Amino acid sequence: MNVRDKIYDRLIEVSNPERYIGNEYNIIKKEWDSNKIKVLTAFPDAYEIGMSHLGLKIIYHLLNKEDNIICERTFSPWPDLEDLLRKEDLPIFSLESGKSVDEFDILAFTLQYEMSYTNILTILDLAGVNYYSEKRHEDDPLIIGGGSIISNIEPVVPFFDLIFVGEAEEHIVDIINNYSNLKAKGYSKKEILKKLSKQPGVYIPSLYEVNYDRQGHIENIIPKDNEVKTKIKRQLVSNLDEAFYPEDFLVPYMDIVHDRATVEVSRGCTKGCRFCSAGITYRPVRERKKETLLKQIDNILDSTGYDEISLTSLSTVDHSQIEPLVKELTQKYEGRKISISLSSLRVDKFSVELAKEVQKVRKTGLTFAPEAGTKRLRNVINKGVSESNLYEAVEAAFNEGWSTVKLYFMIGLPTERKEDLEGIISMVNNVLQKGKEIRKQNKKKMRPIRINVSISTFIPKASTPFQWEPMVNRTDLKQKINFLRSKLNKKGINFSWNEEDLSLLESIFSRGDRRLSEVLISAYNKGARFDGWGDFFDFDLWLESFKENDLDPDFYLRRREFVETLPWDHIDMGLNSKFLKNEYDKALKNETTSDCRFAKCKGCNICYNLDVDLDIIGNDYNVYKS
Amino acid sequence: MYIRAEYEKRDELKYISHLELMNTFRRTFRRANLPVAYSQGYNPHIIFSMSQPLPVGMVGHQEYFDLELKEKISLNKMQKKINQKLPVGLKILDIVQIHEKEKSLQAIVNTARYKYKMSIKKEVDQKKILKDFLDENEIEITRFRRNKDDRLIDLAPMIYSGRVLKDDLWEFTISTGSSGNVRPQEVIRALKIKTNGLVKEIPLVNIERLGMYVREEGKLYKPVNKQVLKKEVKEN
Repeated sequence: MNVRDKIYDRLIEVSNPERYIGNEYNIIKKEWDSNKIKVLTAFPDAYEIGMSHLGLKIIYHLLNKEDNIICERTFSPWPDLEDLLRKEDLPIFSLESGKSVDEFDILAFTLQYEMSYTNILTILDLAGVNYYSEKRHEDDPLIIGGGSIISNIEPVVPFFDLIFVGEAEEHIVDIINNYSNLKAKGYSKKEILKKLSKQPGVYIPSLYEVNYDRQGHIENIIPKDNEVKTKIKRQLVSNLDEAFYPEDFLVPYMDIVHDRATVEVSRGCTKGCRFCSAGITYRPVRERKKETLLKQIDNILDSTGYDEISLTSLSTVDHSQIEPLVKELTQKYEGRKISISLSSLRVDKFSVELAKEVQKVRKTGLTFAPEAGTKRLRNVINKGVSESNLYEAVEAAFNEGWSTVKLYFMIGLPTERKEDLEGIISMVNNVLQKGKEIRKQNKKKMRPIRINVSISTFIPKASTPFQWEPMVNRTDLKQKINFLRSKLNKKGINFSWNEEDLSLLESIFSRGDRRLSEVLISAYNKGARFDGWGDFFDFDLWLESFKENDLDPDFYLRRREFVETLPWDHIDMGLNSKFLKNEYDKALKNETTSDCRFAKCKGCNICYNLDVDLDIIGNDYNVYKS
Repeated sequence: MYIRAEYEKRDELKYISHLELMNTFRRTFRRANLPVAYSQGYNPHIIFSMSQPLPVGMVGHQEYFDLELKEKISLNKMQKKINQKLPVGLKILDIVQIHEKEKSLQAIVNTARYKYKMSIKKEVDQKKILKDFLDENEIEITRFRRNKDDRLIDLAPMIYSGRVLKDDLWEFTISTGSSGNVRPQEVIRALKIKTNGLVKEIPLVNIERLGMYVREEGKLYKPVNKQVLKKEVKEN
């Protein structure tokens, strides 16, 4: 049944109806065949966010490449559509066929941001299934999840039958086929899940028991029977260059967040910033070859008609063939007015020169992330950037005619003192001053200098060297922001920061445990939706939800003991068990750790444990071999 | 080379906005590998302009755009190429070559025809209601304007004709554009007032734009009609 048809003409009543029409160029609509396995991917955020997410695109095309699989999409409905669906007593539907979740075999969530957790509940609710895996029926679709925040998703695991830990490209089709075969043979869901749990990367939350002591600390996390693996090892693609990558991207109508063609030049980052979760969960660095990228870009531009191509990765400028790649791209596409964008710039002159090269067609903003205000604190977080790096970079930028630069800093970092905040202020002022001087000397007309300062709050994340650190408390956080704001409130500087309470909530869930699933349901029932979107966020509602469930937010924000069992201890990132602690100790001694791409192996042991090599294409690097 | 194209926008695509539609066309031209011309400057754009926007939710059966190309290309071939690369719901119906100095669509299109799926109380003579309405010398209505004061306007001189195609399916030809613009829903609102609520308001999706015209001396011409293309295109 096509659910959407029933409200098709009423979509005029909701905001941005184009979110729900599907029908994008390159959409894959397969004939509904009873022999095929039907998978509905669900992205728990608005269409324009989900359609900007590379992981979703990869999965969509990867699954649809299989003849025996039909893969469709759904996103969180905006509250106005949610209201309409409830009023009409209709379920959530897929964009391709307009069908409801119960017509699919598998509902697969992308988990990418803690603050979209309540949106998972909206989708489950509107699908008409129970939130909890253990309470769902035998004939409900299998509900699975995976994505970038896999280092700790314990607060939502009770909602899932199966979680995939790591990069799914090489395993997801197998899992789906095995599920379907086992189901056809008549096994119960319980039996099937137990069998699937033996596959690499497969985490069946219901097979693990979490025990708590009297203070509420986790005593242990153990498999319910001895056939189940004690730890779930993160999976990854060993050869990115040969890995599947879609070329016939969907072309949305809506002006989505990243509205451009995208190639993934590399995956993983070994710079070793100690606050960064992605730096661990995507380790090690694997690059795609220049030739592969050029071919992909050509095909994607032809199939989509986009006029912008983004070279994306955790640190694009570090790709070993970035210079020749950019040079060839600009030569090739300048005439076709296709612009190139780099997803992340290093804080140095080289980056600016590269940016200048790629922005011959269209000029967009430049962003640098020094992250902290003093050399000491930058050493603590292992951000190997010096003040002179920054000034060289911005000088080069102003000289090349950029009048606006964006600077990212973090506050609330471990060991942060007042002078670190003062350091931010003086760096920003110096950048502004340099801009003004260059503008004065510049004979050509240049717009007034503008520095966009973006302050985010440090949130201790699972599986990082700072995973034991306490979250900065609310009063201090407010004070820090107010201090910076008052000092940077001047012409030419645009100051923005994260909502304090939102950061606190994100922090709670980042290191949360399974008990928080109850809090999520309470908050959802009180109306929490799209929490990451400031306009809907209501912290009081969350505080009430904690109280209702007898849980204390401060318990989750506190410092963790090194001996404590952490909620994510059964998820194996592939790290040497001492690595994070060693990095933590070095941080407190202001000692840095260099990038293993350019220096020797630092012993995180991921390459060895996960049986993968640091894969640098332009190879005069010191590659770790097990 | 300059061309003018007639196209339709229907089905799901009635829900995309004017800006989104323009982007969709631009991407389509690139997918079709057309030799499009770009504007100069920091942010080069395909040189391309459209007739009066369709409101979100309304199907358009005969809409128009003008496009500049760097080199000459057969019109038939171009139509085929674009249609192959358009999403379902958009289709080019006709393409003509125009002179580079030809007046823009926005400047010449002054009339539009709409089809209305009406909502009228039963057992009334719909033809009579329409006739009485069209016979009115003055049809005053309040126009609500964003960020501006409301204004009283007279629709009578701007409603050129109307027809009852069958019960609950009507058609109006009304003035559009800078020299006098009637919003299609205003006609219904006026009817509601004049009939004391016999005619009810309808959602926008019940209205379709059938065509857009150049009205000269009481006659309607399509913007691709030779009659309205004032400048001769030189063949070379």
